Formats: sequence, structure tokens, C-alpha cells
Amino acid sequence: MGIIDRARVYSPWLYHLHCGGCNGCDIETLAALAPRFDAERFGIQLVASPRHADILVTTGCVPKQFIPMVKRVYEQVPEPKVVVAIGGCACGGSLFYEEEPENYAILGSPDLMIPVDVYVPGCAPKPEQIINGIVQGILKLAAKGSSRKRREV
Amino acid sequence: MADPVITTIEIILMVPVALILGVLFLFLFRKLNARFQWRVGPVIRMYSDLAPLIGKTRIWQPLYDILKLFGKDTIITDVAHRRLFVYSPYFSLLFAISAAFFIPFPGMELLSSVPYSLVIASYLIISSILFTILGPVASGSPWGAIGARREVELFLVSELSFVLSIFSIALSSGTLVISEIAGRGWSAPSILLSLTSGLLLFVAMLGKLHIKPFDMPEAEAEIVAGPYTEYSGKLLGIYFLSKTFLTYVLVALFIALILPPASTSIFWLPAWAFAAMVLVFLLTVVQVLNPRYRINNALYWYVKVVIPVGLVSFIIAFFIRVVA
Ligand code: SF4
Repeated sequence: MGIIDRARVYSPWLYHLHCGGCNGCDIETLAALAPRFDAERFGIQLVASPRHADILVTTGCVPKQFIPMVKRVYEQVPEPKVVVAIGGCACGGSLFYEEEPENYAILGSPDLMIPVDVYVPGCAPKPEQIINGIVQGILKLAAKGSSRKRREV
Repeated sequence: MADPVITTIEIILMVPVALILGVLFLFLFRKLNARFQWRVGPVIRMYSDLAPLIGKTRIWQPLYDILKLFGKDTIITDVAHRRLFVYSPYFSLLFAISAAFFIPFPGMELLSSVPYSLVIASYLIISSILFTILGPVASGSPWGAIGARREVELFLVSELSFVLSIFSIALSSGTLVISEIAGRGWSAPSILLSLTSGLLLFVAMLGKLHIKPFDMPEAEAEIVAGPYTEYSGKLLGIYFLSKTFLTYVLVALFIALILPPASTSIFWLPAWAFAAMVLVFLLTVVQVLNPRYRINNALYWYVKVVIPVGLVSFIIAFFIRVVA
């Protein structure tokens, strides 16, 4: 493993994209970064701009008005990137989602418009589950990063 | 001035030394910050079952962050003024590194004995910060522009306290050469001067390194990431690298100017390291104890505190000059 590949595993930065939902998952996500679990021990940090992020953490079902923003934020994250969907809403729409008749306001899960790499189900998932999901995301990130380099050579 | 060959070797040696020390200072800053918030922070010794997977230590965490950014894509937006946007980080880094050459380190005199080195060093620090303002202005992002504007305002007032501090010291020792200032002796009034101008330089450091209460240019809850909003990948990495060097430069400058013989000879190295750690500790204490100021509060505060302290500092310096 080269030094840059290793650095990618050592310092994953998260951008927290809240799209709809009831805020339960957001509170749990922040709990994963707070003193009790302190993800900064392993270099995991919350960043303010999607341009700085490696891992896009999405929570909540996506309201229809929010579709362009989700797409735009996804495109703003530079490669290599990974999307982790947290909570039942982000995995499949949960209780807000209706297929027939279609909900007038809610689209459903974000994987209907952006590729999601890791799903963390639960309503709301515990911080342990969220950290586990982020670790899965980091593993995918490392794989994506090194395969990208092979392609370039 | 010293032998040119030795000076060249010292300059080459200085780049990794400054980088390593800058990274260590930033690590210490993050770790203490976390400890104050009842967290663990980047771990010094990784848990034994995780060590084979994710490394033995995270002391180099700030360096890993920079290296990771070098491995990512760099996005340049259409609305950005491309040339300025791309070159500003490099210039900022260049000036920050060259400022390190004019500040003595224990055992290494470097270029600090050239005439007017104090003026040169302060101009290099100013230029480095100026390019962290120019890049965001060229990015075409409103958040970047707001961040840059706040940075300009903060920069003007923190520069006031910086200049008042370094020139009252220069006035008291009657020279503009850093190595001579760093080798000056102690007396009762000069202790007083070190206190007042040390306070001013400390306050200037808060503004230059964006430490709370003066972190409004990067206020992440209001204006995304401020000046760095549109930067990504390599260019952001270069900005972080420049900030690492700037941290070292400001700490080294503080010790050279305020705590005289600590940066003159290699035997003072433990004292230098201790002083640097105490300084980083004090910066962290200020960071964790304060909320973020609004920009007008910060300006008002600077004017209210800095100008009287600066005047006192100048009077003491003048007194030392006249009596000595
Ligand atoms: S999954 Fe449950 S807790 Fe999370 S946002 Fe949806 S409804 Fe709220």
C-alpha cells in the first residue's frame, strides 16, 4: 500500500447531507462523533464543504424539492468518493415512502438518483452501527482509490 | 553573516524540520482541543488489535490529511478566475516556507542575521496570508468571497497588533536583525516589554491562525468553509501545507522575539521545545474557552485592547532605548 493509499484510510472526511427525514438519524450520526464514541481518534472528521469530503453521509428520505441539491452535492464531492446511506429512510424510504398512490412530496431513498455504496438500516441506527457503516465505506474508498491508480497507469 | 555553505545546508535542512514541527504543533493543538472537550482525539498509541490495520500512531494525523488530499481529484469551477485560483496556494506555500528561513531555530542561524531580516520575515508572512485571500476571491463562490472579506478585515487588525509588537521590540533593542534581537540580554524593563509585546504577538497569532474567537473567516456553521469552500484535492492540500508552515513560523518567531536566548544555540533546544509546547497549549486554551466573535466585535475588541497595550509597549521600549 502506498503512502497516499494509506493516508486515504487514515483520514476519511465526512460530509453530512441531511435530506428530509425526522432528524433522528442526524442526532445519532452526531453522537458517533461526540465524546462517547469519538471518531476523531481514527482521523474521521466532519467537514463543512462537500468539496473537502471523502464520504458523503446521507440521512432521510428525499423530498422532491430536494432532488437537484442532492445531485449537485454528490457531484461536488471529488473522486474517489463513497456514499453511506444512514437510516431506514435513506435505505428505502421507510414510513414516508409510498409506491401506490405516489407520495406527492417524497421521492424515497437517495439511491434513486445517486449511487449509494453502503446501507445502514435502522430507525434510527445506533452510533455503533453508523461507525460500522462508515468503516465499510472506508474499505470501499481504499479499494476505489487503489483501482483508480491502476487504471491511470 | 555565517559561512554560505553552512547557511545553504541549514536552509535545506530547515524545510523538513519546519514541516515536522508544524505537523506536531497542529497535532498537539487537535489533541489538546479534544481532551478539553472530553474526547480522546487522534490516538498516540493505537489499540493493539487495530494497529496492524490502521497504523501504530496518529501523531502524523495532520500530515496524513494533507497526503490524502494530494491523492484526490481537484475540481476547478467554471466561474473561477483560473490562473489566480490555481497559483495562489502555491505562492502562499512558497512565502510561508521562505519566511521559515529568516527565523532562527536553536542551532541554526539560517538567514536571520541578514540586515532587515525582521522586516523581510514579516513581509513574507503577510504575503503568505495575502495569497490565502486572493485565491478565494478568484474562486467565484459567494461563500469564498464572504470568507475572504472577513479575512481581509481580520488581517488588517491582526496586522496592527503584529506590527506594534515586533517594532516595539525592534525599537528597544535598536536593530532590525532577528538574530541580534534573539540574542539580547534581559533586564527588569525588558521583562515588562516581553510581557506586553508578547501579549500583542499572541493576539496577532490568534487572528492569523484563525483560532477562536477569531475564526470567523472559516465559520463553518454560517459560510460553509469560508475561503476554502471551493478548494479541493491538491490545491486544498497545498493550502493546508502552507498553514502548517505558517504555524511553525509564527511559533518560532514568537520564541525568537519574546524569549530571547532560547533560539540562539543548540543547548537551548529543550527550552525552545518547552516554550513552543506551552505556547500551543495557551492557544488551545483560548480556542476552547471562547465562542466565535462577530467580525465587528472582533474589530472593536482589537482596537480597544491592542492600541492601549501597543502604546504601553512603545513607551517601555522607548524608555529602554533612552536609559540604555
Ligand atoms: S430512519 Fe427513522 S430516525 Fe432516521 S430519519 Fe428516517 S424516520 Fe427518522
